[in-house]
Amino acid sequence: MHGKHLISVALLWVGLTAIGELLVFADLFPTVGSHEAEDFDSIFRFLLILGIPVFTFVIAVVAYAALTWRIRAEAPDGDGPPIRGHGWVPRIWLVITAGLAIFVMIHPGLTGLAKLQSSATAYGWGKQEADLEINVTAFMWQWTFDYPDGTQVSVAKGGEVVIPVDRYVKFNVNSIDVVHSLWIPAFRMKIDAIPGRTTFMTVHPTEVGAYASDQAYRVQCAELCGLDHGKMWLPVRVVTESEFEAWLASLKTQGN
Amino acid sequence: MYAVKSVAGAMGLGLIGFYLGLGIVAILRWLFGYPDPWGGEINIIGGWVLGVFLWLMGIGMWGQWGREWFGLKTYQRNLPGWQRYFTFNTDHKVIGIQYLVTFMVVFFLAGALAMLMRAELAQSGNQFLSNGQYNGTMGLHGILMVAVAVAAVIGGIGNYAVPLMIGARDMAFPRLNALTFWLVPPVAVGLLATPFLGGIEHGWTAYPPLAIRTNSAQVLFSLSIITFGLTSILGALNFIATIIYMRAPGLSWGRLPIFVWSMFATSWVALLYTQGFAAALFLVLLDRLGFSFFDPATGGDPLLYQHVFWFYSHPAVYIMVLPGFGLALELIAHFSRKPLFAYKYAVAAFLGILGLSGVVWAHHMFTSGMPNYLHGPFLVATELISVPTGLIFLSALGTIWLGRLWLKPPMLFALAVIFNFACGGVTGIFLADVPTDIHLQDTYFVVAHFHYTIVGGEIFALFAAIYYYFPKMTGRMYSERLAKLHFWWMFIGFNATFFLMHLPGIKGMNRRIADFQSELDPLNFTISLAAFFLGASFLVFIWNMVYSWVRGPVAEANPWRVRTLEWQTTSPPPHENFPSIPVVRGGPYDYGVPGSIHATFPSAPSAGFAGAPAGGGQ
Repeated sequence: MHGKHLISVALLWVGLTAIGELLVFADLFPTVGSHEAEDFDSIFRFLLILGIPVFTFVIAVVAYAALTWRIRAEAPDGDGPPIRGHGWVPRIWLVITAGLAIFVMIHPGLTGLAKLQSSATAYGWGKQEADLEINVTAFMWQWTFDYPDGTQVSVAKGGEVVIPVDRYVKFNVNSIDVVHSLWIPAFRMKIDAIPGRTTFMTVHPTEVGAYASDQAYRVQCAELCGLDHGKMWLPVRVVTESEFEAWLASLKTQGN
Repeated sequence: MYAVKSVAGAMGLGLIGFYLGLGIVAILRWLFGYPDPWGGEINIIGGWVLGVFLWLMGIGMWGQWGREWFGLKTYQRNLPGWQRYFTFNTDHKVIGIQYLVTFMVVFFLAGALAMLMRAELAQSGNQFLSNGQYNGTMGLHGILMVAVAVAAVIGGIGNYAVPLMIGARDMAFPRLNALTFWLVPPVAVGLLATPFLGGIEHGWTAYPPLAIRTNSAQVLFSLSIITFGLTSILGALNFIATIIYMRAPGLSWGRLPIFVWSMFATSWVALLYTQGFAAALFLVLLDRLGFSFFDPATGGDPLLYQHVFWFYSHPAVYIMVLPGFGLALELIAHFSRKPLFAYKYAVAAFLGILGLSGVVWAHHMFTSGMPNYLHGPFLVATELISVPTGLIFLSALGTIWLGRLWLKPPMLFALAVIFNFACGGVTGIFLADVPTDIHLQDTYFVVAHFHYTIVGGEIFALFAAIYYYFPKMTGRMYSERLAKLHFWWMFIGFNATFFLMHLPGIKGMNRRIADFQSELDPLNFTISLAAFFLGASFLVFIWNMVYSWVRGPVAEANPWRVRTLEWQTTSPPPHENFPSIPVVRGGPYDYGVPGSIHATFPSAPSAGFAGAPAGGGQ
């Protein structure tokens, strides 16, 4: 009684999954600008590869049942078989779903987390020692970025956050008023700016790039912070080490 | 018209109470020598408390309840026809319909706000709304829809169906039930008045310190939500007592319809966690008056709020979606003409979600800067929730397998719940896993995800239930063709809108902004078109419901050939539901079992019952 139907649903499932998995090849992501972005994209794709068969399984059964076993008459002429679902089917289901959940929990969940967190007691992402540390202060509704040499970037000064490529850059994040969130889409990294506490995120840019040619290069506030929350962003430019030094020096000479 | 006079009188009393409260606080402030006796937000709080109290007294709590406290005789008016919906009526069926209609109106209002937001978001830059207006619109849409999601199914369908399904004459505490409904209008007035005080600036989540610094609309927001929380808690208490103590003889826990089980689990979640939200907002109110729980400038901690808030607001999503699951499983069993597959596992799933719901809240805070050691445990607990949720799918898919699927409008919506939630569940994995959540947190990916789970899982179930119970509630039948048109229109519009909405999220569009990066223009324009298409589908629904309620053909007592108790009485059921209390003899879903019966009605009507006139609602 089940055989024919099981084979048909399995075929439908395989077909739908094959179509669905094409999504893995789609151009879903912003520019990859850092190691962290590479990790994000590969984990996202991995979850997509795992998740799509789950989704298509449900679609396959629902669609097959609705098409095959629908009553076309005005009223039901009889009942279905009283299958109650005791026995092995629910147990196997439980084992498979629990197995999947635990699998995803461990990898990429906990493994990815271990890679992101350098210490259990820190308040942020990535390494705690970096080549360049920038102190970020969020306020309603903009940012200031303080470089180690005393240079400051804000809307008024420079108007663009510049960081060197292939270096670990750590943002120490603070807020002076409400909760904000520092997010750079090209790096796939985000950490909230909380008044009264310093959080951090360390990124390792791998490509040069700039907002002018790619809108993923920007610092955007990602936590609702009131009136001009939507306008709270600044362009980011990733440059080579020598260009970075030159840029710092030029800002200095402008009396920054 | 007694009903009009009663409502108008109660509104007048409420207004008098409001100004009286303002005044009393002003006098106190004057006595204690404050410089500006009228200007404080504490005046609004005093006005709110007294206003809500006098409103309740005016609408009928005094006559039916309050008089008793002073040894006076209470009285009850049983008005005919539509008027009873505008009085303090203790009939659970009246209260269910009051809830349902009220929250459908709120749903369409909040939906119109969503249309306004999509109009603004069709293009980058600001076209229709300023940033402030957008924030107010977005915040109001959010909190109104949260209210709909919390109360429409529980208060509407739950109130109407649960006592009928368990063979009871009413809820355990009918007056408490009426009280919970009549607390809702002040909440609606409070929330809808927020634009006049500057609009909700902080979304529905109201994170401090923003919530402490923002305009006085925050006070109305907090007072409304605390009052609404009271409704939720009292309603939950009522459902728990009703389901434990009011079941008909023979209706053991193992024979309970699955929707009742889901309402039982949901009520526990609501009872245990709602005070989290109320407490968090109460502390925000105190902070606005000069305390400092959450403002670091004066020694508080903003993350404390987020923990307390999400301690309720994550369980809240189960308050929203569990009754949706229950309805979907209930309808899928009836319309597949088969016993519910793996019934015990489905019950275990509801109880399992109830158990896990309280230990996952901080997954909303993965990027909040909480200490690193918290991420792992919350990631693990969150992933674990997919196991009981998976059992719901097992039950649904096992039930339709080899069934005889009667694809009436309720069944179409119920199957769509399974479809939509499968998508919402899978996208949830991306947000539960910290490495992906870091980028996706607070983007349109999250917006897409929670609309898939809450609208796709619960609101579709709500429409399933409305199409299922409409003939029972009104005694009339709707147009099936229009209902199916509505279904396909809404289903396609919903999936087009919200599936596409994942994409700008991944690409880098954060939520709660009126303006976005120009590279996302084409995508957002398409989403807006899809959203307008979705919005238009509800016009079909409204027309079908309104016309059919007035002019529809008379419905049978049991148009769906269903076995559960609510269909074994007239449509609409008489006051006190049944001619006699049924005796339950078997499970509710024994389709295909020869000779099985769910319940029998003892032939002699109980004393004092006037019989059940067909079609009568009184």
